[in-house]
Amino acid sequence: MSARTAKRAFVVTFVMMLGTACTSMGVEPWERDVLAKDRMKLVTDSVEAGLDDHIYFSKEASSGGRGFGGGGCGCN
Amino acid sequence: MSKKTTGNIAKGLATATCTLLGTAAAAPVSAEEQPEWEFDTALLFYGEDAGRVQDLSLNIFARRLFADERILSVGLAVDSLTGATPSGAVPQNEVQTFTRPSGESVYSVGSGELPLDDTFLDTRYALTAGWQQPLGRDYKASAGVSFSTEYDYTHIGTNFGLSRDFNKRNTTVSLGLALARDELDPVGGAPVPLSAMADVGMISGRDSSTSKDVADLLLGVTQVINERLLVQFNYSLSTASGYLNDPYKILSIVDPISGEAVGRTPAPGLEGPLHEYRFESRPDKRTKHSLFGQGKYWLGGKVLDLSYRFMTDDWGIDSHTLDTKLNLPMGETSYLEPHVRLYTQSEADFYRVSLLDGEAMPLFASADYRLGSFNAVTAGLKYGWQTGSGHDVAVRLEYYRQDGDIPSDQLTGNQDSASLYPGLNAVIFNISYGFGK
Amino acid sequence: MTYLRTSRSASGLVLLVLVSIVALIPRSAATDARVPLLDLEAYRGKVVVVDFWASWCEPCRRSFPWLDAMQRKYGEDGLVVIGVNEDNASEDAAAFLKAVPVSFRIVRDEDGALAREFDLLAMPSSYVIGRDGELAIRHLGFKSAKLGEYEETLRHLLEPGMAGNDSAR
Repeated sequence: MSARTAKRAFVVTFVMMLGTACTSMGVEPWERDVLAKDRMKLVTDSVEAGLDDHIYFSKEASSGGRGFGGGGCGCN
Repeated sequence: MSKKTTGNIAKGLATATCTLLGTAAAAPVSAEEQPEWEFDTALLFYGEDAGRVQDLSLNIFARRLFADERILSVGLAVDSLTGATPSGAVPQNEVQTFTRPSGESVYSVGSGELPLDDTFLDTRYALTAGWQQPLGRDYKASAGVSFSTEYDYTHIGTNFGLSRDFNKRNTTVSLGLALARDELDPVGGAPVPLSAMADVGMISGRDSSTSKDVADLLLGVTQVINERLLVQFNYSLSTASGYLNDPYKILSIVDPISGEAVGRTPAPGLEGPLHEYRFESRPDKRTKHSLFGQGKYWLGGKVLDLSYRFMTDDWGIDSHTLDTKLNLPMGETSYLEPHVRLYTQSEADFYRVSLLDGEAMPLFASADYRLGSFNAVTAGLKYGWQTGSGHDVAVRLEYYRQDGDIPSDQLTGNQDSASLYPGLNAVIFNISYGFGK
Repeated sequence: MTYLRTSRSASGLVLLVLVSIVALIPRSAATDARVPLLDLEAYRGKVVVVDFWASWCEPCRRSFPWLDAMQRKYGEDGLVVIGVNEDNASEDAAAFLKAVPVSFRIVRDEDGALAREFDLLAMPSSYVIGRDGELAIRHLGFKSAKLGEYEETLRHLLEPGMAGNDSAR
């Protein structure tokens, strides 16, 4: 198997795994007590994150990357 | 519950949620009123050593919560910037003189000193506003605008976001789009790329203002792994086009054998540079790809946050960022949070420590250390607590250090990387105060 | 002859083994007549709202005062509100109830068995069961914009047995 084919196979397998895993992974809606905590948010302090982003954007060649959405209590 | 009722529920579930009643609604009993406004404020001090940049920043962020997860957010930031940044010229064993960007006077740096451009005193004002709301049960949408202004730079932007939940909200797919138009109005106008730094009063052929357009696209997946672990993976694409140069950055021209700057004489009766310098030149397009992954893990009361970002762009820069925080509760109402961030980047294809006398001028060249290769470390500690009235306070102290990593093939003659690379040592001090939550 | 005796005793032995195996198989709970997790039969003839909540569920802070108001307003007409708590620690539920006190019945569902039985898809959720013991409607989440709709559902279900049966009320 050439390196290219192996690489492709790996990517396809990984994506499939991710796809199938995502459908069965997770918790029940009533088991989200820990995830509902403020400290478990992906961005706990958005003002601080914005300040840091601005510093690193001014001093380095990279910026951003972070996203939004998901996690939390999943209520309503 | 009897078996009969269980069975009925199972049957009922298939149709029950569709039942709607057409009769006129009686006056509804209202749900309890929530606190309407939430505020987050922060005061930040950023200070580099050796007379370089210092920034004092005040931020206020407010959220107004409406019924059913609809949120209006508004932010205001005021930054007061002072100090100087490296101009890109290399230190020499003799005095160097430079014409200011305004073209009206000169400034000098001593022998062995790193040339810094001090045309950098200003106050920046930034405003953001956004709206977020659910669309049906599974979608959330958001839209926002941003605006900032300082004496030579104006930014205006808009952003949109859409996220969709799957698998009982265990999986969330997000899509984000941000568009911005930035206008630069450099002091003295935008210099012609790779043109020579001229004597006082001899500036010509410059555009007074230039602009650039930036578009960012984000695709993300957030997945609940188990009760204690949440992960997120994002891919971002960023394209910038237009004037991407830094109008104040220059390169020294050095002798290809000795590595020393080539001298020049100002025109009779005029003040001006004593060595040859050229203004930098960058491509007018840049495309960046980023892959980001983050995990938040609950360790019996402590929370571990670990993230990694890989960035690559068509300027030849690759970077890796590893960021980790550990949130440690201290008693009922306070916490301690150590933070470490490791960063490394490789240089842009057109990054040059200096230009060589006699060589053909390259198409693009920049000595801006921010496009060079370096490693950086941030180490910090944050302490937060909740006051008696339920307000959140936090203080954070961090140390940020950059160390150059100039490859030896960039060095000419007697140049040595230790004295060439500016490096950076900065302190970050931040106080946050939040209330209304 | 020997063959017949051997086969009879052999089959007897096999039968004995089979019976013992069947007797020793652990029985699943469903085949037993067990105590129901929530005895809704006792409320037959009334309209029951089974509301799943937890201390960490932010919309529950809004839904509870409304549910309490409904219980008070329609209690004598036959409305019964039951709050099923999904907290792991009872202290969290107690703290919530101290901040948002209500007069309706609270049931604890520590291991999530009741949630599973009701096929709970979202927090909070309320299941409205009519006077006939059948599930009438399930609400996923609690939306302030739908309060009128929620109350109208209850009034509609309460109508048949309402005091005075005055539909013009």
